[in-house]
Amino acid sequence: MKVDFILNDRPVTLAAEPGANLLELLREQGLFSVKHGCDHGECGACTVLLNDNAVNACLVLVHTVAGKRIETAEKFSDHENLHPLQEKFIESGAIQCGFCTPGMIMALEALQRKNPEPTEAAVRDALAGNLCRCTGYVKPVEAAL
Amino acid sequence: MSKEFKYIGKSVPRVDAVGKVTGQTRFITDEYLDRMIYAYPFYSDIPFGKITAIDISPAASQPGFLGVLSASDIPGQNQVGVIIEDQPLFADPLVRFIGDSIGIVVAETESAARQAARLVNIQYEEFNPIFSINDSKAATGNFIHDSNVACQHQVDKGDINTGFAAADQIIEADFKTQFQEHYYLEPQGCIAIPEENGGITIHGSIQCIYYVQKAVARVLGIPQSVVKVIQTPIGGAFGGKEDIPSELCARAALAAVKFNRPVKMVYNRRDDVQLTSKRHPFQIHFKVGVSNAGKLLAAHIRLEENSGAYATLSTVVSYRSSIHAMGPYVIPNIKVRSTAYYTNLPTTGAFRGFGSPQATFGHERMMDIIADHLGIDPVELRLKNVLRPGDLTQTAQKLEVSVGAEETITSVRDRSSWNSLRQNNQNDRRYLTGIGIAASHYGNCLGAAGWALDGAGVKIQIRRDGSVGLAYGLADMGQGALTVITQMAADALGINSQRISVLAPNTDLVPDSGPGVASRNVVMTGNAIRDAAAKLEPILKTAAAEMLGTDAESIKIENDLIFVDDVKKSDFNILADYLFVGNSQMDMLGWWHVPALEYDPVKGIGEAYFTYSYATHVAKVRVDRLTGLVFVDKIWAAHDIGKAINPAGLEGQVEGGTTQGIGWALTEQFKFDRGRVLTDNLSTYLLPTIADVGEVETILVENPEPLGPWGAKGIGEPAIIPTAAAIANAVSHAIGVQMNEIPLTPEKVLDAIEGRTH
Repeated sequence: MKVDFILNDRPVTLAAEPGANLLELLREQGLFSVKHGCDHGECGACTVLLNDNAVNACLVLVHTVAGKRIETAEKFSDHENLHPLQEKFIESGAIQCGFCTPGMIMALEALQRKNPEPTEAAVRDALAGNLCRCTGYVKPVEAAL
Repeated sequence: MSKEFKYIGKSVPRVDAVGKVTGQTRFITDEYLDRMIYAYPFYSDIPFGKITAIDISPAASQPGFLGVLSASDIPGQNQVGVIIEDQPLFADPLVRFIGDSIGIVVAETESAARQAARLVNIQYEEFNPIFSINDSKAATGNFIHDSNVACQHQVDKGDINTGFAAADQIIEADFKTQFQEHYYLEPQGCIAIPEENGGITIHGSIQCIYYVQKAVARVLGIPQSVVKVIQTPIGGAFGGKEDIPSELCARAALAAVKFNRPVKMVYNRRDDVQLTSKRHPFQIHFKVGVSNAGKLLAAHIRLEENSGAYATLSTVVSYRSSIHAMGPYVIPNIKVRSTAYYTNLPTTGAFRGFGSPQATFGHERMMDIIADHLGIDPVELRLKNVLRPGDLTQTAQKLEVSVGAEETITSVRDRSSWNSLRQNNQNDRRYLTGIGIAASHYGNCLGAAGWALDGAGVKIQIRRDGSVGLAYGLADMGQGALTVITQMAADALGINSQRISVLAPNTDLVPDSGPGVASRNVVMTGNAIRDAAAKLEPILKTAAAEMLGTDAESIKIENDLIFVDDVKKSDFNILADYLFVGNSQMDMLGWWHVPALEYDPVKGIGEAYFTYSYATHVAKVRVDRLTGLVFVDKIWAAHDIGKAINPAGLEGQVEGGTTQGIGWALTEQFKFDRGRVLTDNLSTYLLPTIADVGEVETILVENPEPLGPWGAKGIGEPAIIPTAAAIANAVSHAIGVQMNEIPLTPEKVLDAIEGRTH
């Protein structure tokens, strides 16, 4: 099966087994910011943007992304110009092991596209699907406000 | 300690932050090597019995199948017990829990290995399994090992009978704590690479590289000198990657040698939960004698731990819980028995706090029950008994300095407006509100029982271009070790932190530094940095003096610059090159070992740990009368950490630790059905989400420890220790019922509110 979609601003045609999920497909492309944490759409470590909405890549079947736009943290990862959210995560000390961090940033990026000046309640809502076992949530909320 | 440093004491950003925010940090799951093959375990699906036959043929017919390895394929010893040698790498012939690994399947792809592992067919003779502490104690035969007792530690000080005779009141109570799963987001994983010299190189998500080196050498029957273990970035560990990686790495190493190809093994989440260790459940009995004025006079404490199928770190948990059983209080007469019992469940082992959170749940619930009994405010009762400088601990260890227990209690009392919140609840028709306090202490590093392992090193390597490599032997599992090490080394050497690269822990670079556990990193690595810097100082100053034509006494190295009599004359780059051309020593090993501790293990008397961190938490909760749900509105967390090397990093530790404590207290209920984990994913095992956690306010109490580097003590574990007890005390206050068992699930809380006994 081949699927055409836009991946980090570039049109791609990728082969996948029917029934394959987007998490595995993206990791096969070397997009390792998309983390494999739980398999069940519970941890949020594989959060990516699908047409500007935050989704768990492990719950998205590859054939459903045909013609759509997918974005991962690699889009903001040239190591020269960090995304403002990435800067704020660093400033606020919102990072420990880093396994949940790209997913959190993508979830907040989705929020900011809809709502550039979110309230704390909106931030907490946006992060409700992202688990952090190290830092908790105080500093990620600070970083997003 | 009043000297202002350039880095120490500052909230400098994490040195590994960019890779983490961009997702470019390479975890072990992100590593792929040429010719790499994959291994996956197959394991017992009965809780207790004997293997009678293994049929691999259904697995062998799978595409990509390469082979199976089990006990008979081990060239060395079939043993990975970390302290007590009771744990085979591959079960043979006894299986002792669902998850006891019997062998591994090796295949060309990860999915083929996982698929084939499920197809291996095992026949068993089944025995009657034991799941509870009480059944394990009561057994008279068919023991899980030679006996069902994994280990015991004790403390006997004074005479409890005299103490109880003198007491005005004698109060007894029972407490229970449950399993807790680490649930690091990055699963267990490693890669083993065979080397031409017959040795092996291991890369993995590993807290204790030297444990892995020992285990792999032993299983393969090769010298430790040819086993190289390199730590990859760790995606959370919390103790869960202390001993378990020895199993994974030894299994992958066997396959690497047999097939002469790199072998990767990563557990999927379901197996990670079923196969790996948890926090020990405790059942606890307290009998305490007090005067009417609220002075503790005698305590008899029984701590019983469910060890699971093997001892793993039970000895550490049992020792630590016995030493911390009565908490940070003066008690003249005490008897403690702390015993771990084998059962046919997955192992329980290292988990942030090593038995201290459980012990603290006991003593802090008990203090509230005593306060209630005597009609004394819980804060007042604690202040009447708290350890102060000059006091003796429950093991008769005299505390001289860096005893901040009292200040942690008074600071959370004041910051939380304790008196007003305790006396004036804000109950309404829907919610009951309450406030609770819990105080704790935590012996730093491994203590008297682990003293032999309690040394650690660094190697500082000055390069000719002025850059500096720094190798250490412990672990950054997310807590920020790389950053605080950089801060300490930069100030110790008087150079800019940008010069320093902290190298991945690697057994070839630093001598065996013991385990990356027990909140050891700042204390051990920091002191080793001080040692290396002190040894380098005369070398650097002598070279600088020679280079600048002066004497060493007039040289000062600060801010990357070389001063002669306080006048800037040169810089570190020039000095580094001069060191090289002058054939000076540019690599320096620093080492620190915890000083000798006088301790009698039979009586449990003496210097149990070289120093203690102290922490007190206050929790303010709301209990929903209709559903029994508890919400923690705020936690005030005061920590005596000696000296904060990186205050923002410390806050992150405290916020994360309290969040884990909220989970253990309220949401994380681990369930089995006859030894099979029912809660093997995040839909059934509920980690706290952002919706479960309110505010956390961290209060740092700096009471410098002379033996700590720049005065610092450990923080990683103290962060979680008092949280659950503070929450249970707050819920008890809110609903007017003593809640003595966690997790405080809505069912349990509602039953208590409505007067049903549980």
